[in-house]
Amino acid sequence: MAQPQTQAGSANGTSNGERQDPGGFKLKFCTVCASNQNRSMESHLRLAAANYPVISFGTGSLVRLPGPSIDKPNVYQFNKTSYDSMYKELESKDPRLYRANGLLNMLERNRGVKWGPERWQDWQIGAPRLQHNADRGSEGLEGGVPDVVITCEERCWDAVIDNLLERGSPLNRPVHVINVDIKDNHEEALIGGRGILDLADSLNKAATEEREANPSGFDSGIAGSRAGFDERVPEIIGEWQERWPNLPSVWTLGWF
Amino acid sequence: MATPTLSVEQQIKQLDEARKLVLSDATYYERIIQGILPIAAPGARVELRRWVADFLAETFASPWVPAHEKEKMSLIVLDTLKSMIENPQEDAAVVKSVVQTAASLYPVVVRRIINEPNDSQTWSKMLAIKLRILRIWDTATTGVRICCIKFAQRVVLVQTNGPAVDPRNGNPLEVSLSMVPPNHPLMPPMNLEAEASGLLDRMLSVFQENISDAVLVDATLNSLSILIRARPHIANRILNVILNFNPLKQANSPMTPKLRVMVKSMEKTTRSLLVHILKRDNQHPLAGKIQQYVERMMRSKSDIFDEVSRKRGPPEPTDGLDAAKRQKLAAQVTSAPPKFHVPPLDPGPHSVAELFTVTTDDALKAFDVAQLSEDMVVKIGITILQRIDVDMLNQAVEGVRKRLKIMSEIERLVVTSSTIPLDVEDDDDDYEPAEDTEQILNKLDAAPPAELVKLLPPAPEVALGKFKLPDPLPMSPEEVALAGRGVVDRLFGLMTSLDERDKKSKSAGFNRLAASTNDRDSWVTIITRIATRASAGLEEADGVKVEANRPTPFSMSNTIREEMYNYVFMDFRKRIDTAVQWLCEEWYNDRMQMKRGVDAILHYEKWVLRILDGILPYLDSQDRTLLIKFLGDIPGLSAEVLGRVTGLCVNPSTVNMALQSLLYLLVYRPPAKELVLAAVEDVWNTYEDARPVVVKLFVKYRPDYGERFKAAEGAERANGVPEVKEVAAT
Repeated sequence: MAQPQTQAGSANGTSNGERQDPGGFKLKFCTVCASNQNRSMESHLRLAAANYPVISFGTGSLVRLPGPSIDKPNVYQFNKTSYDSMYKELESKDPRLYRANGLLNMLERNRGVKWGPERWQDWQIGAPRLQHNADRGSEGLEGGVPDVVITCEERCWDAVIDNLLERGSPLNRPVHVINVDIKDNHEEALIGGRGILDLADSLNKAATEEREANPSGFDSGIAGSRAGFDERVPEIIGEWQERWPNLPSVWTLGWF
Repeated sequence: MATPTLSVEQQIKQLDEARKLVLSDATYYERIIQGILPIAAPGARVELRRWVADFLAETFASPWVPAHEKEKMSLIVLDTLKSMIENPQEDAAVVKSVVQTAASLYPVVVRRIINEPNDSQTWSKMLAIKLRILRIWDTATTGVRICCIKFAQRVVLVQTNGPAVDPRNGNPLEVSLSMVPPNHPLMPPMNLEAEASGLLDRMLSVFQENISDAVLVDATLNSLSILIRARPHIANRILNVILNFNPLKQANSPMTPKLRVMVKSMEKTTRSLLVHILKRDNQHPLAGKIQQYVERMMRSKSDIFDEVSRKRGPPEPTDGLDAAKRQKLAAQVTSAPPKFHVPPLDPGPHSVAELFTVTTDDALKAFDVAQLSEDMVVKIGITILQRIDVDMLNQAVEGVRKRLKIMSEIERLVVTSSTIPLDVEDDDDDYEPAEDTEQILNKLDAAPPAELVKLLPPAPEVALGKFKLPDPLPMSPEEVALAGRGVVDRLFGLMTSLDERDKKSKSAGFNRLAASTNDRDSWVTIITRIATRASAGLEEADGVKVEANRPTPFSMSNTIREEMYNYVFMDFRKRIDTAVQWLCEEWYNDRMQMKRGVDAILHYEKWVLRILDGILPYLDSQDRTLLIKFLGDIPGLSAEVLGRVTGLCVNPSTVNMALQSLLYLLVYRPPAKELVLAAVEDVWNTYEDARPVVVKLFVKYRPDYGERFKAAEGAERANGVPEVKEVAAT
């Protein structure tokens, strides 16, 4: 199950060393954009390379990739077409065009991460994901319930929240849903991916600190003396926002 | 699994392997859970306890584990969950997982208890967990508190009425109060509903606090959608609270990055929930208000955040502006009750239905309520009456009253004006009388009969003033007796359906009230009081009438007494306390009656004797304490009662019992001393075989028994005939 890890994109060199340490606590992440192609996949790869458990989704109705002209996009179905087959199709259609606009590069990256784009709305939260064990970042998310969902566009955040409200929170599992607004192009996706990794590190640090043994117990009346992870999330995001002023964020605590 | 030689890391690795196994095949869950519970013992390493708690939370949340499996496993894990959450030293992460597990388990357990109403053990464990969660709700860390909120939300969902569904359906979201039978012994629906209402208030109180913690507010908002959707009768209550919530109120204080995130989050989350509700149901009664709120929020938000980003500090006016806004909002809610307009009726005849139709919506008017089933109408009616605004109701009633007033006036006019043409012939109506009958017949042919019915009768009825129901026909004595029997049967039916109280919990003593608890004891008290007191003083006449050659008139009291006697007699060993309680009531009532008058009819003596007569033949030597207790507890003794006891001496196996109970009375009921000694004397004289026992027991009180016994023995030896008479004379 262990993926041979490349050191690529290791903005977070320290966590690579922790990979072999099963005791090191890792928050479980989920990244979301419209088509599960560019922004969510860039951050998926980044988080996976930093050894975080991560999965990713798209909230659109269909996977839309740019075509030869603006009114002729390449449209695929979620969950049914693999990155690999998209790659092959586009390569056979017009390799020059799709190489030039970066689509083939993107698909090349994506097919190294997982099989194909998945749609958020069709995702059965809490369903075991053992069959995804070849995906990057799958280790730790076998149970299919992430702790943090990071969307890459406010529209996607809205769709995720609306969908969670729609599902009626049957699992009773809390989830932090954070939007990090990233423009949908390759350059911005790279920057956004770095921002998201920074956010993930900050959150994970707080979560790890919370889990360090606390002998006083939860009911000892001095709960305020050491703020827990959930409580610190707004603060962490606030500080992160100061560091990344060009990636406007929204956060809420939702329920699966 | 937890071999001590393994390190914690190795153990967790093993556990992870086990977890992967169950994730791939859900049939192993039960076995794995049984295997891992010991690992989470209180003394175990915190890493292991966390792992187990988290695994439980995951398992019971999983949509892949079938509901009946969860139910089975819930029985196994409740003890562990209980001990974890009740441990004040427990790790916060463990508690957080336990509360999540409990939220997922709650509907599962409730459904089980619905189907197994006698499983009080499981239910009490669940209750203990619930109690603990609700207790730590306010004091625990934020991470635990949000899970407590979610737990409360789940309890509210379960304990409110939902749409009727098949209870076998596995979806935990569909367990609702509607599935709980009204007479459930462990979960009375009324209590469940009241608790849910209280919990909902507690959940919603987060919106009324001055300082809002965004984590708690968001956790609440994001859990409310299912309640609003699936529980329409509490939806408006929830929405009204949200609509009065101002997520931007903290925007006045200096904007730290953290506060900025929190305010923005609360505003956005509130808006998301409301938009979600609007999107699903744009016909919602509060749709207009929601729309306004959403628009206002978006405006204020852009005001605040744009300004803040420009000036890097809180702008002064926001403060005043905000307060004004809040005031306005509050004023709107309190001082402007919805104006309810009842359109006056057009002149002309109207049906009763039209009279009471206050809506102006034509589609609604066309709806025939008779299509609905009766109980549904009743349910709707009750719900409406519970929810309706008093002002609105008053306005509607006033409107209908006005209509009636106008109508009755018109009616008077119409009645007079339609009689006038017949009596006084107008010029215009000259030839009308000639065609009158024909016209009417034509009309009858033309008009559909239904309309006629609608047209004709209601008008005068509406105009009528008072209507008095005729008095019912007097009931025959047989009917009275039958109805009375029915009532008594109901009383006893209810009593036997109630639980018998634990012997342990019985300690109220003199402070015990007749009906402080809804158990069998209380009902016994009520029933005996109905029997003894309700008709006390009314039955003197009956006593005389019995002499007459007529059937005994029905007496509620005596029927109850008869039933009571049967009830006690059926299982007298267990119900002897009930008998004593009843006889005390009888005795007390007799005393009260005797105070009132000399010729009171007394019941106590009669029923003591009946009970004794009933049970004495069944007593054996084992029942000594029973008899002693009964004789010791009943409030009055008489020679006749003791006579019944001495009667036991005829049977060698009960001689001891009879005499020992007499001894008890002699020692512990001094006022009865003379009576008892007389009874003993009687035994001495009547039952020769009992004499040795009499001597043994009573020689201390009547030393002469010993001598008499010796004398009698001597005499017997001398002539072979016991000289009873002679001895007795001394």
